[in-house]
Parts: sequence; structure tokens; C-alpha cells
Amino acid sequence: MFLPNEYEFSCFVKINSGTRALEHLPHELDALNARKPLIVAGKDVSKEGHVRKLMSAFRDSGMTIGVCDDISGPFDAPLIEAITNLYRNKDHDSIVAVGSGSIVDVAKVLNVSVSYGGRTLRELAGKNGIPNPLDPFIFVPTAGGDGYETSRYAEIEDMKFSSDFLMPDLVVIDPRMVTSRDTRIIVATAMTALAHAVEAYTSPAKNHITDIYAHAAIKYVAEYLIPVVRHPADRDGSCALANAACMAGCVVSDMTMGMAHILGETIGAMFGITPGICMGIVLPYTVAHRALHFGARTADLILPLAGFDDCAKISPSLSDAVAVTMMIDLQHELNGQTHGGIPRTLEEADVPPYMLQDIAERCITDDLPGYTYSDYLTVVKQAWEGSPAMNG
Amino acid sequence: MRRAVRMHLPGYYEFSARVKVVSGHRVLEKIPAELRKLGASKPFIVTDNGVSSAGLLEIVTDSIRSGVTIGAVADDIPQDSDVCIINDLAGIFRERGCDSLIALGGGSVIDTAKGINIVISENTYDLMKFSGAGRLKRALKPLIAVPTTAGTGSETTMVAVIADHERQRKMLFVSYFLVPDVAVLDSRMTLSLPPAMTAATAMDALCHAVEAYTCLAKNPMSDICALEAIELISRNLLHVVNNPGDKDGRLALANAATLAGMAFSNSMVGMVHALGHSVGSVCGVPHGMAMSVLLPYGLEYNMHKVSHFIAELLFPLAGSEIFARTPKHLRAERVVTIIRKLNQDLHDATGGRHARFFGEVLDRHGAHMVEKEKIPDIARTALGDGALFYNPEDLDYDDMLMVMEGAWEGVPLKRNLIKSG
Amino acid sequence: MVSYREVKPGGKPFKRAYVAVMLWFVGRAVQAAARVDRAVAREFDDLPDSFTFCLGVEPRGPFMVVGKSKKGRVKYLGWNPAGKEIDLAMRIQNMEAAILLFTFQENNALSACRNRITVDGDIPAACAMMRVIDIVEVYLLPKMIARLAIKRYPSWSFRRKYLGRIRIYFRSVLGY
Repeated sequence: MFLPNEYEFSCFVKINSGTRALEHLPHELDALNARKPLIVAGKDVSKEGHVRKLMSAFRDSGMTIGVCDDISGPFDAPLIEAITNLYRNKDHDSIVAVGSGSIVDVAKVLNVSVSYGGRTLRELAGKNGIPNPLDPFIFVPTAGGDGYETSRYAEIEDMKFSSDFLMPDLVVIDPRMVTSRDTRIIVATAMTALAHAVEAYTSPAKNHITDIYAHAAIKYVAEYLIPVVRHPADRDGSCALANAACMAGCVVSDMTMGMAHILGETIGAMFGITPGICMGIVLPYTVAHRALHFGARTADLILPLAGFDDCAKISPSLSDAVAVTMMIDLQHELNGQTHGGIPRTLEEADVPPYMLQDIAERCITDDLPGYTYSDYLTVVKQAWEGSPAMNG
Repeated sequence: MRRAVRMHLPGYYEFSARVKVVSGHRVLEKIPAELRKLGASKPFIVTDNGVSSAGLLEIVTDSIRSGVTIGAVADDIPQDSDVCIINDLAGIFRERGCDSLIALGGGSVIDTAKGINIVISENTYDLMKFSGAGRLKRALKPLIAVPTTAGTGSETTMVAVIADHERQRKMLFVSYFLVPDVAVLDSRMTLSLPPAMTAATAMDALCHAVEAYTCLAKNPMSDICALEAIELISRNLLHVVNNPGDKDGRLALANAATLAGMAFSNSMVGMVHALGHSVGSVCGVPHGMAMSVLLPYGLEYNMHKVSHFIAELLFPLAGSEIFARTPKHLRAERVVTIIRKLNQDLHDATGGRHARFFGEVLDRHGAHMVEKEKIPDIARTALGDGALFYNPEDLDYDDMLMVMEGAWEGVPLKRNLIKSG
Repeated sequence: MVSYREVKPGGKPFKRAYVAVMLWFVGRAVQAAARVDRAVAREFDDLPDSFTFCLGVEPRGPFMVVGKSKKGRVKYLGWNPAGKEIDLAMRIQNMEAAILLFTFQENNALSACRNRITVDGDIPAACAMMRVIDIVEVYLLPKMIARLAIKRYPSWSFRRKYLGRIRIYFRSVLGY
């Protein structure tokens, strides 16, 4: 059994998930000592009526709320400054971000900006640049996302912020907000979560508490992704996948980020494919490679992937291979369910074979030392062909 | 292989585990740095007699002395601490100009520290004004919890139970702000715990986890916490009881207690705790001991409602092989058997000090702690315990009597007498 | 460049009215049950005299208040807790939670599990009131619905169940 030697970990995020979760907001804000929240939402999200649903949850609460719901790019420092001024002038004391992806970065950096009067954002950026707790920050996810929403990171322009205090105090997952009809978005979000969670779960830097969040995220995706792709209106399933994204975000860190993440981002950027889709393609191959050459704890994945019954049936000597196979199977089933819409291999994703060396070269980064050009090249080749490295 | 949806996903749930966990064999030394991060430098250490006479206080003060100024130390928190004591201690805190708290001990010390923290941070003399849910409206002073029992899990919870002896009541305080900032799990803190205490406190943690997994407010996150806690306990407890010096095992149990705390603070506990609290308050039986006796009975009583959840516990309790070998319909019963066997093994390993049923719980003079005539009292008290809300099946007075009588004699419940409707 | 507006969200008048009616009826039924049913009477006997219990929706109502008089008689005390000394308050966190509860989509226990009801006051008294409400539900509701609302449907005698039901309905409507 796994026993971490020495570790420290904290996750401030509380999760409220399920039926009528939005209606708990006034009460939760009150418990966080917030009386006048500012709702921050992107234009796209408010067009879909999500902000209206959120506001109706405040009926009968007696609260006054401020709404900035047509934020559109560029998401830059002047934008933050403008909202900061509104926040201060109108006496707001908390932030509710609705949406996913970069609007959440805006909200996080806004929280830094409103909490630190005298200092410029640039001074606060960098690793652990924020020493004190910020104002209450609540995040209401909608479908989609980049996997960083609940993480300790935020990015605006070229400034990167990193602090535990950036994590939302509360994530409200309501079926009315998180369902989506776009299977590609569903898959990309879920696969980002799966990749991050798998990497955290098999990382040598893991501990009992990160295991909780990673285990949950893997389990949610393994059990609910296919049903939701089949029936996108599935409310429970959509909530479960939003939970997966949230949990995986909680354990994303420099320590646990792995090859699948880097490859996904790099290939996504090079060929204009959603990074989450790429992460899904390369994940099984990176896991197989790391099991073979880096002693990653791949066998542990069986329990969250397969559940008690199947896990108990699998012989421990085979569990590495079965875990990899299960993830490849998942990819194949997604491909089948979407009638080929989700590629199984990099070949199907239209990545030209002569670019593989180029990809491997660009993946090498200081953020993730230890993996060489040949590691990346081996994995990309396998992911292109669809044949993983297996022991024996 | 075909995946199927197997997890229990409730229509609505909440989960939070806000405490920062710092765990290892030599992590007390990190306390000064953690305090600095929280903007504090002069902690008030509160603990109890047992802890300080076991030399644990000294270990802590030696480990942190070079990094912080210790403002004051109170090493005489009684088991049944109350409002008066809290007000006195808050006075010392103010007098010495402390700016943070270190709670070193079990549940009652940590709750006392939470109480002091409310009095100080809200600058009040009337603690009771803040009882109930959500009355605290701002962050309190930094509080670091250093558990010394590997059982209660209070280091993770957002509640404090504080007694008011004058008015004879116990008040519940619930707030996000009551969660300690840091829980420091250092194997040195539990290394000297005697085998019987180790057994009782670990069984307390096991009860937290098992009830969290089988009671009404369970959710996927608390389930995973519970499973991990159960696995850690079942793989380490007997070994640690037989080899008290096993540092890794000690740390595993401390982690298990914290994980179990995260599980039950989110999904609450049920009838085992309702009865256990009452056995404690009516007869003075130590909490962990009452828990270990009652656990199999609680499972038997709830079996007809939640056998499918109980069955899943066979996996972390017995390992994958036994799980696979046991037919599905027998797994839940097997779980009860294994827990009974664990109690028996602990009984043997502690030279009979770990009780298997209430009839053999004896006090220092060899007399029964739970007298049979007290059972009706216990049953009545248990009817007023909030944990009943979360139990899958209803219990009335007669049901309580039946369970207690079984637990007194040490005979399994007669299933045909358990009412269902 | 950033649009901003301040909103004071309105109310939910229809849901509010429905919940108010339900609370009114529950309050009167508790009063009636305390006079008709021995188990309910016993629960109230164990509570201190002039004990007041309030059940309602946060933050702006509706509420219902039931109390014991100094002589120990249980009485429905109206919809307004203001000015009364409340010993035990069960607060439903929001109107939607109240709707889930009073349309029997969630029972008391589940609602408490989901943090939709919070209890303020003495816990033993809260347990007693939960039992009282369970019994009242068995009286008021047909078995099919009551089974959703409580954990274990009791096996009562014909006399207790049906005669009691008639008497409680009668008394609740007439209010004595």
C-alpha cells in the first residue's frame, strides 16, 4: 500500500453540487460574511441565460447584487482595473464568477486586485506572491473549461499568479448550468480532467489527500463520460463531469503536471486542436511509457477506473496493462459514440507524421524536467499509431 | 471491459476539507513556518495533563522553540472542558499578548482551543452568543491542531461542542471559520500511545469512516475519504498494536483518522455515534471503546437498508482477493464478521483490555462501567442525539434497548426483530 | 467598457404562498396531534413548559410557530416569530428547499443531510420535534406519499391511524 513519507497539502475549495445548488448561494455568501457579491460573466455565458438563472436564485434573499455580464476580450490589465474600480465604488465584498476558462482568470486576478490596494498586479505575480487570504470568491462553472478554474493558478497577459488563496472558496455545480449539447466540449473538458487526475494519482509527489481528489475525478470520468456523450441532457452525469473538472483542478500543480498535459497543450497549439482532445489521445500512451520507464504507480489506477468488482478480478501483475487498455478503450468508445467525431489516434486527428519530431522537440520544457526528447518522441509515435508500449 | 455507473451520486451534496494537512515523521519543526505564513509568531499552546505527562508537550516545545516565541502554555485542560475554563484561558491569551493557538491533544483540547479562539477573535465574554450555525462572521486567529490520539478527527471539522456546566447544556458551534488552519500529523505524537488506547482511538476513526460511508448524507467525495481511511486502518491497526514502535504504521493511522474526519465532517454519522455518545455520557465509557463495541451492531441494524454499501466496505477491509472470492450477497455479512474479528484480535493483542461487548467494560476497580440497569437511561439519552437524523433506518426507544442489550451481552442482533416499514 | 448594473432580485410569490399554506396546516396539525395522539403528547410532555418551536424559510419567511403554554398545552401560535422567544428554530435555507420539502421530493432527513435545513437550539428537542413531524405526516398523508416523507412507515392499529387521521384533519381545519 502507498504511504507517502512527508507531505503537506491544502485545498480550500468547498463543493456544492446537485439539484438547486444555486439557491444555496445567498446562505453560503452569508456564511462567508459576504453581503454584496459582484457577478462576473462573459458575454457568451449570459447570452445562454445562465446569468439570469443565477440571479433568480437570489430571489427572496434580500441581497443586492452587482452584475458585470458582458465581459469580452481582451482579458487584460485595463479590464481588471475597470472592474476593480466598479467593485470598490459600489462597495462589493465578494466575487461570483460564472463560466469557464479565461473569465475565471479574470475573476481570480480581480480578486487579487481588489484585495491589494497599494500594489500593482505585476508585483503580486509570480510564485506564491500573494501572502494573505483574498475576498470570498465563488465559482459557478458552465460547460467547458481549461482545467485550471479551481487551481491555484491564474494568468492575465503575461503575468502568472500562483497561490492557494486564488482557489475559489466555493464551487457551485448546478445541473441547470453545466449541461451542454456539444459533445466535443464535453469530451475535451472531461479528458483534461482525466489527464490531470491520472497524472496526479500516479505522480511520486502524491499523498493521501491529493489521492482523494484525483481518485474522485478519475472515477467520475470513467463512469459518466460515455453516458453523457450518449445523452448530453443527463443532469446527474453532467454534474458528475463538472465535479471531475473541479476536483482535478484542485490537484493540478507543478509537482503533478505530466507528459500528457504538456503534449496535449503543445499539439493543441501547433495544430489548432482543443488541448483536451489531444490530452485524451496521448494519455494512455504516456501512462504506459511512464509505467515502463519511470516506475509510475499505474496499477493504482485500476480501482478508480474499474470499480471494486472488476478491480478485484484483475491480477496485480496485469493491472498496468489493463489500466492502459481501459483508457484506450474509453477513447475508442468515444470515437464510436460520436461517429468518428473524437479521434482515437494522432493520425486520426490529422497530425502529419513528419511533424512528430517537431512536436517532441517543442515539448521539452523547464517546467517538467526529467523527460527527454526521446521520451516524447516515443510516446507521440505510439499515440500516432495507436499502439502503446507494454511490458512483455 | 464495459464500464457501468456504480458510484452513489446523491441528488445534492456538499463537500469541503479546508484544513491544510502537514504529515510526516518530523513535521513539528514546520509549525513556526506555518505560523509565519499565517502572520503569527507568538502561539498559545493548550493541551491536557495526559499529553504533557507523556512528554509530548516537551517534544513540541523543543521542536518549535527556535522558530517562535511561545506566548503561554496551558497544560491542564480537563476532559469536560467548559465555558468558564475557556474564558479563563482567553484571559491568559490576552494577558500574554499571544496571537495564535496550538491545540495539542484529542477532541476536547481542540474544541477548547476553538472556543478560546472565538472568545478572543470576537472579543467577547459571552461565548454562547455565537453558538449555532453560521454565527461567526470573520476569520479567527490562526489555529494549528496537533492531534495526539489518531481518532477523533476534530482537526478537520468545522464544529466545536462546548459545555456550559452552569446551565447544564452542550452547545454546538458551526462555522467555516472553526476549521483549524493546519493539522500537523507527526508520528512522534502517537508513538507512545498504549496499545489499548491505540486500538480504541483507531476504532473510533474506523467508525467515523464506516458510518460516513453507510449513512444518509454520504457523497462520492466523503466515500473516497472513508475508503482510504478504512484501508489504512485495517492494514495497520493490528500491526501497530503488536509493534507500538512502528513509526510508519503510526503515521498511517494518524492519516486515517484525519481522512475519516474529512469523511464524517461532510457526511455525518449515525446510530453508532448516537448510542456511543449516550453510553459515554451516562456511564463514562471512553468514546473509542463504546464505538468499537457498537459498530457491528449498527451495521446489523441498518443492514436491510444499506447492505449494498456495507458490502463495498469488504474491499478496503479485507483486500481485493477476499472481496473477489466472497459472493456478492455474502459480502455485507462478511464485513460485520470481520469487524467482530478485529475486535476479538484487538482484545487478544491488548491482553483483554480492548472490550468486545459492554459486559466486559470494567473500570479501574474491576466493576462494570455499563450496568445493565442503565440501559434504559442510555436508550432515552440516545433518542435526543442529532446523529439519528443521518441514520438510514429509524430508531425508537425499543430499538435502542434491543441494540444495547445485544451489545451488552455480546450476541449478534436477531434480524427478525429489526422492524422495517 | 464594462457594463454594470445593480439588481435587487424580487420574490417568489406563488411558491411563498404555497409554503405558507403548508406551514399553516402543519402548525395546526401539530396542535391537533398533541391532543389526539399519545406519542405526540408524550414528546411534548418531555419538553419544558412554555417551549416554543419555529419552523420556517430563511431569510424572510413564511414561518410557523408552535408552543407550549405555561400549563403545558400545545398551541399553534401563528406565522410570525417576531417578538416571541424561540427555543428551537428549524430554518429551511431557501424557498426552493422548502418547495422540495413540501412537495415531498425530499424528506426531512434528506433535507437535513443536504444542508437545506439547519437547527438552532437544543438538539434533543430538535430530535423530538422531528419525531412529532414524522407522526403528523403519517396522519396527514396517504401511505404512498408518507413513505417518501419518513424513514420507516409505522404499523399502527386501524383505530389509531384512521380514526386519528379523521380527528386530526377535523381539528386542524377547525383549529381547536
